[in-house]
Amino acid sequence: MLAGCATPGTTSVNAQPVVPAAAGEKVTLTYWAWLKDLQKVADVWNAKNPGVQVQVSWIPGGNDGGYQKMYSALAAGGGPDLAQVEMRTVPEFMLVNGLVDLERYGVSEHADKFDETLWSQVSFAGGVYGIPQDSGPVGMYYRPDLYEQVGADVPTTWAQWAEVAPAFRDAGVYIDSFPLDDTSVFTAHAMQAGATWLRSAEDGWVIDMAGEVTLDVARFFDQVIDDDLVTTAANPYTPGWYAAAAHDQIASLVSASWGDALLQSVSGAEGKWRVAPAPRWDHGFGSSFIGGSTSAVLANSKHPKEAMEFAVWMNTDPEGIDAMIEHSGIGWSPARDYIGAAREEPSEFFGGQRYNTEVFQPATQDQNPDWQWWPITQQTFNILGDGFRRKATGGTLVDAVVAAEERTIEVFRQKGLTIRKAER
Amino acid sequence: MTTQTTTTPTGAAPGTRVAGRPPKKRSTAVDRAPWILVGPFLALFLLTFVLPIIVAIGQSFTTVTRAGLFGEQGVTTGFAWFENYRIALEDGNFVASIWRMLLFGVVQVPVMIVAATVLALLLESASARWPGFFRATFFMPYGIPGVIATILWSFLYVPGLSPIIDLTETLFGFTPDFLGAGTVLWSIANIVTWTYAGYNMLIIVAQLKAIPPEMYEAARVDGAGPWRTAWSIQLPLIRPALVLTTVFSIIGTLQLFAEPQLLMTVSPAIDSQFTPNLSAYTTAFAYNDYNVAAAQSVLIALVAFALSFLFLRLTNRSSR
Repeated sequence: MLAGCATPGTTSVNAQPVVPAAAGEKVTLTYWAWLKDLQKVADVWNAKNPGVQVQVSWIPGGNDGGYQKMYSALAAGGGPDLAQVEMRTVPEFMLVNGLVDLERYGVSEHADKFDETLWSQVSFAGGVYGIPQDSGPVGMYYRPDLYEQVGADVPTTWAQWAEVAPAFRDAGVYIDSFPLDDTSVFTAHAMQAGATWLRSAEDGWVIDMAGEVTLDVARFFDQVIDDDLVTTAANPYTPGWYAAAAHDQIASLVSASWGDALLQSVSGAEGKWRVAPAPRWDHGFGSSFIGGSTSAVLANSKHPKEAMEFAVWMNTDPEGIDAMIEHSGIGWSPARDYIGAAREEPSEFFGGQRYNTEVFQPATQDQNPDWQWWPITQQTFNILGDGFRRKATGGTLVDAVVAAEERTIEVFRQKGLTIRKAER
Repeated sequence: MTTQTTTTPTGAAPGTRVAGRPPKKRSTAVDRAPWILVGPFLALFLLTFVLPIIVAIGQSFTTVTRAGLFGEQGVTTGFAWFENYRIALEDGNFVASIWRMLLFGVVQVPVMIVAATVLALLLESASARWPGFFRATFFMPYGIPGVIATILWSFLYVPGLSPIIDLTETLFGFTPDFLGAGTVLWSIANIVTWTYAGYNMLIIVAQLKAIPPEMYEAARVDGAGPWRTAWSIQLPLIRPALVLTTVFSIIGTLQLFAEPQLLMTVSPAIDSQFTPNLSAYTTAFAYNDYNVAAAQSVLIALVAFALSFLFLRLTNRSSR
C-alpha cells in the first residue's frame, strides 16, 4: 500500500545488480502483446525449449488500454517479463523506469541481426531498451485504373504528386487523404524529408522540430489542403475512408507496409491496387517508418536474460518470423536478412505484383538513420494533433508545428529534463 | 505524502463505541451485528472510493522531477504546493474543456429533462395506450452500453455510410456535417439525450405513480382538465424527481468520456482534451503525469460539486 502511495516509476531497475541466468530450473516467461494468436508463435519456441516456456496474454493495443495496464502493473511492482511496446513509446517507458537495459545482458552480440535504423531507435545513452519486433516502411499504394482515367503518371516526387492531384479533383476523386489528428503520418513525411525532431546529446535533449525541413513539409501540406487536393474528412483506414475507397474516390495512399492487409478490407478492391515507392522530397530519404513495435523486457522481470533470448529468436529466426506472419500478421520484420517466406511470393491481391521485394525491401535501405523518439512522444503528437485540428477553423500546420515545439520544451522542463533548441 | 497512510487504519478497525447509545445493557452480539452487516460494504467503500480519493488528493500536491535524458541521473519527489493546479489551470485546452461542458450542460440538460418529463406525463396520462410497452421502449436505449450506442450513432454520422446524409443529399441536395468542429458537440448531446432521456423518464414516472389517486379525483371534481392537472398537480409533485435527475445530469455532463473518446476516431474535431475527463485521462495514461492528472481530477470534482450545490441552493430558495 505504501508503494501505491509513492508516485510510480521513481526507482530504477538498471541501477540494481544484473539478474543471473536461471541455473537449471524451469523458467516460465509471461508476454503481454496485442498481436493476435501470438501464443502459437511462442508454442514453436516452447516445443524446442522445455526449460524456458513462454505464455502470451493478449492485451488491448497500446494507448487503447494496453499501456495503461502495463503502467499500472509496473507501478504496483509487477507486470510481465516481456511486453509489446511501440518504438515511439520506448522512451516513455524509460521515463518511468519501466524497461531493462538489455546491454547489461549482452544484447550487442545480436545487433547485426537487426535493421540498423530500427536498432538505433531502441538505443539510448549507451543502452538498448527493446528488441525490434515489427515496423512499417512507407510506400505508395495506388489505383492504376484511376491514374489512367485522368491521364496522370504515377508521381515519383512530391512536386509531381501535387501537380497531378488537381486532375483527380476534376473527376471527383482525391489523390490521398491527410489525417489532421493522426500526426504519425505528418511525422513520417518530416522524417523522410530528413528532419530529426529530437536527439539525445551528452548535455541533454536537442529539439529541432520547427526547423526549415519540417516547416517546408508543413507549408507543402498547408497549400495542398487549402487547394482541396486531399481530403481531411476521412483518415485512412476509418469507416468513412473505406467507404470512399470502395466508391473509387481515393486514387492513392502513401502509407506503411502494414497497410497491405488493411487495404484488403476495402470492398471490391481485389486486383485494383498496386504499390510504388513513396514520392520523394528534393532532399532527405526515399522512405520512412510509420508505426512499429518492440518486444521489451519490463523492469520487474525475474528472468531478463531468458526473456531477451526469446525475443531475439522470435524476431530474427526465420521460423519465428514466418510464424509471426502466418499467425499474427505482423508488420515488416526488423530482421536484416529475412523478410519472411510468404512475403517473397507474388501477391494475388496486388495483381501478381511482388510488392514486398520490389518496393518495401528497398525502402528499408533508404531511411533517415538519425531519427530518435523522445520521452513524451505521445504528448507531442497530441499537442501537434490538437494544433492541426485548428486547420479546419483557419489555423495552419506551420503555426501548429512552431507552437508544438514550444509546448514540448515546456513539458520537458516541467519534468525536470534538460532540453535546448538546435542552432538554426 | 504522509496524509494517505494515516487514514487507512481507522477504516479497517470498526469503531466499537457508537456515540449516543443509551446506557441500557445489550449483548455484544447485537451490538456487533450492524457492523458485520455493513462491513463488506464499508471495506469496499473505503478501499475503492475513499482511499483512492485521498491518494489522488495527495498526488495532486506531489511533483516528480528527473535529471538527465530519462531521469537516469536521479529522480526526486517533493511537495509541490499548488504547482500542479497551476499547470492544470494554465492549460488553455483543459479550461476550455470545462467551458465546453458547461455550454453542453446548459443546452443538453434542460432539453433532456423536458423530454423526459413530457414522456413521463404522456405515459401517465389517462388516455395513454399500452403504457407498459412504451415505457420499456423509451427506456431501452439506456440498456444499450454507451460504447455500443456511440458506435451505432457514429455510423449514422459518418459521410458515405450514413443513410441520413444520403437521404438529405437526394431529397434536399444538402450535406449535413455531423462531425465538424461546430457540430460534433451537439451530435454527442444527441447521443446522450437519446441514452438518458428514457432513464430519467423512469425516475419521474416512479414519482408520478406515488401521487395518490385521491388528488386526481379531487382535481377532476374541481373541474381540472388534463392540462390543468399536469400543470397544477403533477409538475409540482414531481419536483423532487426533477431536481434529482437534473443534479445527476449536471454531474454526468462533467464526466462525459466514452462518447467523445469513441467518436474521436471518426471526427477530427475531437481532440485529446475535448472533455475534462478525457483531459485527465490523457494526462494520466498517455503522458504518465499522474500528479497533474490528479490535480485536474480534483478540479473537475470541485466544479461538479459547486454546480450541484448552486443548483440545489437555487431550487431550495425558489420553493420557499
